[in-house]
Formats: sequence, C-alpha cells, structure tokens
Amino acid sequence: MAVVERPLGGVTVPKPPETNEYAGWESWLTTVDHKKIGIMYIVGAFVFFLIGGIEALLMRTQLGTPNNTFLTPDVYNQMMTMHGTTMVFLAIMPFNVGIANFVVPLMIGARDMAFPRLNALSIWLFFFGGLMLYFSFMAGGAPAVGWFAYAPLTMKQYSPTFGVDYWIIGLLLTGIASISGSLNFIVTILNMRAPGMTMNRMPLYVWMTLITSFILVFAFPSLTAGQIALLFDRHFDTRFFNPAQGGDAVLWMHLFWFFGHPEVYILILPTMGIVSEVLPTFSRKPIFGYAFVAYSGVAIGFLGFLVWAHHMFGVGLGPLANAFFSGASMLIAIPTGVKIFNWIATMYLGSISLKTPMYYAIGFVSMFIIGGISGITLASPPIDLQQTDSYYVVAHFHYVLFGGSIFGIFAGMHYWFPKITGRMYNETLGKIQFWLTFLSFNITFFPMHITGTNGMPRRIYTYEAGMGWDVYNLISTFGSFLMAFGILVLVWNAITSIRNGPPAPNDPWDGSSLEWSTPSPPPAHNFDTIPIVYSRRPLWDTKYPDLDAAFDIGTKAVSRREKIEQEKARMGELPTESHIHMPSPTYSPLIAAFGILVAGFGAIYISVPFAFIAGLIGLVILGVGIFGWVRDSRRDSPYLVSQH
Amino acid sequence: MRIPRRSLIKLGVLAIAPLLLAGCSAAVGLDGPATTINPAGDQARRILDLMVPIFWMALVVFIVVEGILVYTVFRFRRKPNAPIPSQIQGNTQIEIAWTIAPALIAVVIAVLTFRTQADNAVLPPNAIHITAVGHQWWFEFQYPDGGPEGKPLLTASDMYIPVGKPVIITLKGQDVIHNFWVPKLAGKTYMIPGKTNYLSFTAEQAGIYHAVCSEFCGEAHALMRFRVIALPPDQYDRWLTQAQVAPANPPTGVGELNGDPTRGQAIFLDAKRQCITCHAISGTAAKGVVGPNLTYYGSRTTIAAGLLDNTPENLAKWLHNPSSLKPGNLMGRVITPDWVKQNLAEQDIADLVAYLRSMKLSVDMPVASK
Repeated sequence: MAVVERPLGGVTVPKPPETNEYAGWESWLTTVDHKKIGIMYIVGAFVFFLIGGIEALLMRTQLGTPNNTFLTPDVYNQMMTMHGTTMVFLAIMPFNVGIANFVVPLMIGARDMAFPRLNALSIWLFFFGGLMLYFSFMAGGAPAVGWFAYAPLTMKQYSPTFGVDYWIIGLLLTGIASISGSLNFIVTILNMRAPGMTMNRMPLYVWMTLITSFILVFAFPSLTAGQIALLFDRHFDTRFFNPAQGGDAVLWMHLFWFFGHPEVYILILPTMGIVSEVLPTFSRKPIFGYAFVAYSGVAIGFLGFLVWAHHMFGVGLGPLANAFFSGASMLIAIPTGVKIFNWIATMYLGSISLKTPMYYAIGFVSMFIIGGISGITLASPPIDLQQTDSYYVVAHFHYVLFGGSIFGIFAGMHYWFPKITGRMYNETLGKIQFWLTFLSFNITFFPMHITGTNGMPRRIYTYEAGMGWDVYNLISTFGSFLMAFGILVLVWNAITSIRNGPPAPNDPWDGSSLEWSTPSPPPAHNFDTIPIVYSRRPLWDTKYPDLDAAFDIGTKAVSRREKIEQEKARMGELPTESHIHMPSPTYSPLIAAFGILVAGFGAIYISVPFAFIAGLIGLVILGVGIFGWVRDSRRDSPYLVSQH
Repeated sequence: MRIPRRSLIKLGVLAIAPLLLAGCSAAVGLDGPATTINPAGDQARRILDLMVPIFWMALVVFIVVEGILVYTVFRFRRKPNAPIPSQIQGNTQIEIAWTIAPALIAVVIAVLTFRTQADNAVLPPNAIHITAVGHQWWFEFQYPDGGPEGKPLLTASDMYIPVGKPVIITLKGQDVIHNFWVPKLAGKTYMIPGKTNYLSFTAEQAGIYHAVCSEFCGEAHALMRFRVIALPPDQYDRWLTQAQVAPANPPTGVGELNGDPTRGQAIFLDAKRQCITCHAISGTAAKGVVGPNLTYYGSRTTIAAGLLDNTPENLAKWLHNPSSLKPGNLMGRVITPDWVKQNLAEQDIADLVAYLRSMKLSVDMPVASK
C-alpha cells in the first residue's frame, strides 16, 4: 500500500459540530445524509431482491415438472407479474440508486446531494410504493397481468381485482421517487463537482449515473402517462386502451415500451459504470479509452430511445417500421461492443488482482457478452418472431439483467462494502459465493435458450410432457435453488462481516477516485477538505507522484508530478469553499411521502364511494409535510470557515 | 512464466462452462414437436436459413472475445511484488478499429435480415384464406369458402390446411391480445382486438403441428393451444367437401360409453341443459356463438383447445367439471359440479359424449409430429 505523500490540496475547513438532534432509529427516519439514504436504498432493494427471488423459486418449483399443480394458475400469474415488477422497479433500480447515492457525492468531492430533502422524499416514496404494491396480496390479490400489463387484459372486465390498481399507484410512487432522484443526480453531478473535476475527469461511474438519470427523466413520463390513462380506463370508462370501446390496445404497447426499452439501459448502464471502476482498480491501470467508454454510454442512451418497437415486431406495424427498429437495435451492438473491448484492453498488460469485486466484474463482462450476442437475433425481425415470447427471451434478458446488472451490482457491493460499512467482508466466502452464483446462474438460465428454441412459450404456468422441455426445466429448477443457496452465503457474509469483520482502511483496494481518500465509513460531511482535482485519478496522483501519468500508446509519458504542475498552472486560481453547509435532519420528507401514500390509496379505490376522503386526507398530510419542509431550511446554520 | 494450474481451471470454467453447455445442447435433441429448428413450412425454413449463418458468426465472436478475456485475465494476474504496470490509457486507431468491427458485422446481419423479412412479408395472390380468431382460451377458424347453409365454415382448435399451397391467415382478437404461433411452420403474429393482422406461409410436409397462443392472455393462457393439420391437397379437398355439409342425423343404437347418440342430440338441443347457449352445430337448432362451434366434434384431435386427447373418457371428464381441467374458462362458470348434479345424470353425459363423438369426417389423418 502506497503512503499518501501529501493531502489532496484545497483549503482546510473546520469540521461542523455533530448534530445530536435525533439519535438511534430516529436518525434514520429523519436523515438527509446521502450515505444513510444510500444504505437504506441498498437494504430495501436487497429485501425486495430476496422477495423477488422467492417468487422465482415458487415459479421454478411449479415448472420443474410437466403438468405440475404446485401453484394454481392464478397464483402463478401473480408470482410472474410480481417477480418481474419487483426485480425491475424494487430491486435492480433501487440497488443502483442506493450505490450511486452513497458513492457519487464522494466520487465528485461533494458534501451531499444537491437536494438532500428531496433525496429523503425519494427513499420514502420508494419504500411506500413497494410496500403498497405488496399490500395488494392482502387486498384481493396481486396483479396477474405480467409486468408489461398489456391492455385490454388490464381492463376491469378481465382483471376485476384491485391488483392492477395497486400496480399502477405503487409504481407511480416509485416513479416519483425515481424521477426526483434522477433530477437530484443530474443537478448534483453538473453543479457540485470538486474544483478541477471537469466533465472529462469524472469517474466513469459518475458518467454512467448521469446518463442513466437523463434516460430515466425522459423515459419514465411515458409509463406514468400510460398508467394514469389506464387508471381512468378502469375507473371512469375512458377509452384509451380498450378496443371494445374504440380504444387502441397498441397505444399502450407503444407507451409502455417507449419507457420499457430505455428502462433496460437504466438497469444496466450504472452497473457498466461499476465495472468501469472495478476493472481499472484491480488491474492497476487507467481505463482504456475513457472517452470512448463514456461517449458509448451516451450513444447507448440516445439509441435506447429509437428501438422500443423491437419488442413489438409481431404486432403488425409493417415491414418498413420493423426494418427501421431492427436496424436501430443492431446499431446498439456498436457502443456495447466498444465497451467490452475497452474493458478487456484495460485488463490487458495490467496487474490483475483477483478479489471478489474483480471476479464479479469479469463475470459481468463474460456473461454480458452472451446476453449481447443472444440479443442480436432478437433484433432481426424474422428470427425474433420465432424467439420472442419464448423461453429464449427469458434466457437472453436474464443474461443481461442477472449476468449483467446483478453481477455488476454484486461487484459494486463488494467493492464499496469496506467504504460503506467500515468493515472488510470475508474474501473466501465472497469467492465461494461468486462461484456458486456464477455456476448456478448458468445452470438455471442457459437451458432456457434450448427450451425456447424447442418452442416453449413464456409466461405459462404449466406445460405438457414430451415436448423436449422436461429435462431442461428440471435443470433450470435445480439451478435456481443452487442460486438461492449462493445468495444465502452472500447474506451470511454481509451480516457476519458487518458485525465482526476486520476494520476497513481508507483505501483497501489501492483505488484512484476520491471516495478512497475519506475514512471508512466517511463522516457526515464527507471531506474535511474539499480536494482539488488535477487528473482523472486524483487519489492515485497523490499516492504515486513519481510514476508516469496515464498516456496514449505512441505518445511520450510524463511523470505525474510534472503533469500536475502543468495542470496547476493551466487551471489558475480555483474557487474555494467558505463554509460547510450541512442540511439538518427532518421528518418533513417522510411526512410528505406518507401523505402521497395515503392519497395513493384514495386513488386506488377512487371508484369506491367515499374513498376520495382518503385522497383528501393524504393531500392534507402532504401539505403539512411541505409546510414543514419549507421551514426546515431556516434551521440549517451555515458553518462558516474561520479565515486562516 | 509458470502458470498456477488451479487458477487456470477456475478461469477456464469462467467462460467455458456456458460453451460446454452449448455443445451439450447440440448433442441433446432439439427436435421436439414444437421446435423452431426443424421446420415444415416455408416461412419457418427461411427464418432458420437466416439464423444459421448468424449463429455461426455469433459463435465465432463468442469464442474469440471470451477467449481473449480469459487469456487476458489469466496471463496478466498480479505476481507478488509486481511493479505497477505501464499506465496506458488508450489509442485512437485501435478504438476506431474496434468501433468499425462490430459495425461491419451488424451491417451483414442487417442485409441478410431485410432480405428474409421481405420474403416473409409477401402475401401471395393465389392463397387460401382462413380467418383465425383468438378467444380466452381457444382458437376459432373461419373458412370463407363457405360452410353448411351458405355461411362461412366454422371450426375450432384444429386448423386444416393443404400441403404445398400458400395460406393467408387473417388474425383477429376477440377479447384480449393473443398470439398465433405454429413454431414448425411460421413465426408469431399477434391477434389484437380492434386490429387485423395477416400471416402467410406454405406447409411443406403433411403433419399435425403443435401450436400455441404465445402472448400472456390471462389465467389459462398456458392451456390455449391448437393444432395445425396439413393434409395432402386431395385429402384437404375431401375434408373441405365433407365439412361443408351439415352432419347427418346421429346413428341409432348404443355408442361410446354406452351412450345413445340420438338421445345425446336431444339433450344437447334442450335449452335447459345450456349447451346451445354458447355452442353451435350445423344442421341443428344449436346456434350459440360464444363458445367453439362443435360441428364434427368427433374429428377434433383434442378436447379443450389442445389440452387433452379427444377420447370419450376425457370428454366425459370435461363435461363433469370443465374448471378442474382448465381453470377460469367460461364454460366452467356455468357448468359447475353442483349444476351438473342437478341437470345432467351420468347417462345424460354418456349420451352427450356418444352424440358429439359420433359426428366424424372421413379423412386420412397424417401422423402427429413427435
């Protein structure tokens, strides 16, 4: 481990006094600290991840043998809907948001998010939205329409329980959380970077979070608008999507997939960012082709909005429209290919240390290659018409969302575990868990390519024997239980390490970005001194000043010390911080979120007499929350820097 | 340089495990009754012809990229006391090269794709027209060529087509969205209420082909199946000629399950027994349109939309309690076990079975694909 030669520069600011206004569990309910909120997101996402996993196990048990009667069709269809909805909206998305919440402000040298109270509102709305969705099980049954909820199956006539309404309003709450969270990230990243950290010096994880946030802000309104129209169709007989009344079922598909495809990139881009941090750190090299990796992310973000109808090749949009969306989908192979090549090139000629985060990052790359390749045929309309809605697609997107997103998230969770908890996880258990998960993942999902090719449709609760599906389904079911065991190892490792793990040093992986310059876990105000950034690897600069700075092949390398002096001269005088402004803890966002929750129940039962009263009560509570919120900022006392 | 064997094995598994599995899959049969890679129709065959070269390209890309990945991870593992490696951060020429490489592959795949797409989109002028309608949870087929009494010929769950002649299927949705998929003959096309889609293909071999609804359409979506029966042209014509005529009066005497077909017809037509509320049989007073048309039910290959073989026992089981076999279906909401107890004696059910199964067409059926 290199010794830090000198502090990162900048003006030393006296620490703010610790606030003792709320202690114990109250400190969590009232927190506006991005790190605590990040931890709550991660824990909440992990709980939902486990619930979604249990739903998957129930489904795999049912599908283990043909003509099985373990689950009734109605229960299976509820599990199927809730598994998809949970994993997308309540597990992977909040996992990513949680990690970003904790890490991004630290990476850019900020003291918190731009809007800490809005951040708190987001976490509570995410919790309440998820709980509301699950409350549907106790209120007549969960939705049983698939996570894509195609009309007119979602109409009251075909889905008479309130499940679909819970789905609409529950996701609406998490949607508000996501949109406000994304705006928060955008403002934070664009405005609160440390002096010297230009856009082109931001860690790639920050880049990917920024791109993801923009995608989300543009994509989510399409879903929200569709859901509100659906709510109206169900309760007020409006005619948006119901063909029996002159509505258009295809309109819902467009609205849903205009959100739904960019959503895939919302799920995968942040984890690409994680991999772009982990691979260089454990290879002891800078990322290869920083600009190409960053801008290919931008390209994916743009192209992601031009491909939604590749989910609809069978709808009959016509050969010309299909050809356009097919071509646009194939274009995405280019930026994703670029990323994969750059990741491999980052490791090439490196000094690779195989720790658990690195295992997961390499696992990500190797599995994402498979998911990417299997996606090529789905971009080709003729082949897609054979493969879509079959188990081939189930295999494909699990290679992207589990082999990709979840592996990337696990890489990040191990990578930042010491920073977040202040403890080291158990490396041996980490590696055991990796191999269990990696093998069981392939055992579960690889055979689905075969069942799909053999004509097994998706979303069926049972199948007949003798179709050439039996053995492969049994293998998949076996794999899923092995995978569950792997996840139990992860839970065990996390719990025991948080309790008894060895204390983590500030910089356990010899990292290069700013979060590793803070204590583990970081103090509430993150940095005693806001660092000044002279390169893409500010911490690395201070640790290895006499090594060469990063250079392109074919150019002459210069030492970091020399380079930093050049940069200092070029950058001139930078603005310094005059005081540490820390927001004070408050209940207001929680009250406001609770008001939205109550109003949401009013919306679900909007066609029931007097349910509107719940809506009114909710709005009053929301008003109280906002009133308190407005007054909160007066309590923040800026802690002025004494002149030195 | 010495290579630690243990790490070699570990890293090998990392990328080779899926590859091995892929190899095994080729060895294990992919030849099920609904397989997409042993086509019996022109559209499915053109799709396979497109998929095969793409599969090989994909396999090469997979092996090369995963190979380089494994080699890299393995070759550049950190040695004890290793110095910090050279801090290379990029090279524009290399970057441009590997931006262009996937672009070229994508262009090749796109050109192949568009060609197949154009071929598969053709609706030939001399085709036989059939309308397929998706219901929760069964398929209805209408032959505009004319059935008994000058109306379109209606049938359900078995779609007869001639071998070697193109057919154009007009696809409609009745209630919710369904999806028409005969994997061995053609790719999927949606059946959307309020929208009409068209699908054209030619069966190249005689056979009975498994087909399903492949879009989630509610509770019993998994049980919404049908069969496509591709007959040699002469047999198809024979089928059509016979099906255009209403069934003769039921035979006298004892039929299957010791039932009396003539009495079965009377029970069927008795409004109190509810059959004719939903079902129709040509040449009789049964004119219901909610459920499948049951004309020539004895020739159906399956009961309850592809769910069970058409045997007297299965049919009796269905008539006793439809919901136990197909949860959520419309018939089961009326024909509950309690209702059956009050309205249908055991003998009545036997008579119904004998009647329904007595209406048979005389066609040489092809062997079901296995």
